[in-house]
Amino acid sequence: MDNLASPAAIQKRIWDGRIPLEIVLAPSQSRCYDQTDPYIVSFPRVCYLPSLLPKLRAFFSPYLIEPGSQHHDGWFAFEGVPLKWHYPIGLLFDLYAGADPATKTGFGSDDSQESGSSFPWRLTVHFSDWPVEDLVQLDANGIVMNDAFINSVKEADFLRNGTAKGIMSLSKEDSSGLWKAVEDVDLPSFQRISNILLPPPSQPFRNVPIRIFLPLLPDEESGSLKVVQSPLPPLMQALSVHSSQSISSRSSPSTQPQTIGGVLHTLLPNLFPSRRTPVLAKPVLHGAVLPMSAPIEEIVRSSAYGDGWAYVVVRMMG
Amino acid sequence: MACTVLSAFPYLTPDEFDCACRALVDRAGSCTAAQTDGGWSTLRLVSQNTTSLKITRCLEVQIPALDADLHEPHTHTQAQAQTQARGQAQALEDEDEDPEALVRSNLKPILQIDYDIVLSPTYQVPVLYFMLRWHNHQGRVGLDAVYQYVVPEQYRKQLQSVGVMGGISFGYHPESGSPAFFVHPCNTVDAMARIADGQSVTTGTYLLIWLGLVGLSVNLHVPHELVAPDGPSPS
Repeated sequence: MDNLASPAAIQKRIWDGRIPLEIVLAPSQSRCYDQTDPYIVSFPRVCYLPSLLPKLRAFFSPYLIEPGSQHHDGWFAFEGVPLKWHYPIGLLFDLYAGADPATKTGFGSDDSQESGSSFPWRLTVHFSDWPVEDLVQLDANGIVMNDAFINSVKEADFLRNGTAKGIMSLSKEDSSGLWKAVEDVDLPSFQRISNILLPPPSQPFRNVPIRIFLPLLPDEESGSLKVVQSPLPPLMQALSVHSSQSISSRSSPSTQPQTIGGVLHTLLPNLFPSRRTPVLAKPVLHGAVLPMSAPIEEIVRSSAYGDGWAYVVVRMMG
Repeated sequence: MACTVLSAFPYLTPDEFDCACRALVDRAGSCTAAQTDGGWSTLRLVSQNTTSLKITRCLEVQIPALDADLHEPHTHTQAQAQTQARGQAQALEDEDEDPEALVRSNLKPILQIDYDIVLSPTYQVPVLYFMLRWHNHQGRVGLDAVYQYVVPEQYRKQLQSVGVMGGISFGYHPESGSPAFFVHPCNTVDAMARIADGQSVTTGTYLLIWLGLVGLSVNLHVPHELVAPDGPSPS
């Protein structure tokens, strides 16, 4: 395996990444209860579930008990848990599906493909009884969805630059173009617009937009995802071997890139007692285990979702 | 409570935000008229993993005739009755020159607004979240209801004209994960810097200035006792 993949090559592979989905209609909303044919689709990791709704609404329309429901009445659940549609499906999969993440040596354990517990990922779609306590309601024109995406883009932009002027001064065309590029999984268009927002590679981010999702406990309330976010500068003071000696060392302070292992060790010392080796838990992004030594700015520049964020899921080991 | 100068105005650190919240609670607590006069029926500091400040207001709302058909029948829980009582007290405060207020039906539609002030880990300024709940009425609680009943008329045009769907978004409360409205924080930094001088703002005054800037647009007024020059004199 090529360990020196360029950021552009990594980004391309992530945008090419797809998750096989098997979507069934909620039995309570089907004329033939649980005998409805499932809808099977290979869905891009960087996309959002609501974009499937018009096709699903059409596919399931002969079965619907309530024929008056519209596509934006649709919402998804996994094992009874309503799925937050404002997160890209790649993150939802990493959070909920329980699939063994890929490592440098291979794809989970040997028998994971065969037992097939997580592929395809089985979701349920509902077209009524919106869970108002859990999910923000969608609208016919996709404005709520677009707004959520742009808010997230703004936050990432603010962290990278210290202002949100970049995204706010983006032309209306480019601003809606960015969302369209993600919806259409159109990487060239996406890159053209996101390059307007990103500081050039020579200029480090002010802070790195990373959110860390803690493991879900089986007995916990489904809606309350535990998310850790803190200002994360890309560079930090180099740890000197002799740091215990004198603070008034004459050597000029040097900096080194902050790694994901360092961040996890600082923010979650109980789960990550070492900054170099995963002991109790491992960080997962796009279905793969992140190397603890990966610099956080490189992670975001190569592997962020369309909104500019890297959403890292913490998975317990063993 | 000691008021301290801020380390990086207009930004707040989590400690400074915590201190600012406590200062506002102290001010309100030492000022008996504040809660009724400003229409704040409750003010509560919650500090679990992070600090947040919860303020509840109950507005008596005139429902347009078309919506009034949806009036809930006379089912009335105890909690609703209490809120109703608060709302009525509020109505008396507001309209004490109106003798009719005393004999009004006690089933006026009440819109309860639960505001929640939290510190944004991205923008490092406070963000105002809020949720709507009706009493004695089965009304809408979506964004259209926010603009109809919560946003004062003079702010509507201005708020609706920005962003993808206006200056108020429908998102998720950072602690509970429940759907909640919030006022966009991305312009707060610039606006705070424009109206206040970093040297003079302390943890004791930050939230009063911020509420004046952000709160008014969604009907959250600062009770005027709280902004008296030297605060209320101790009793």
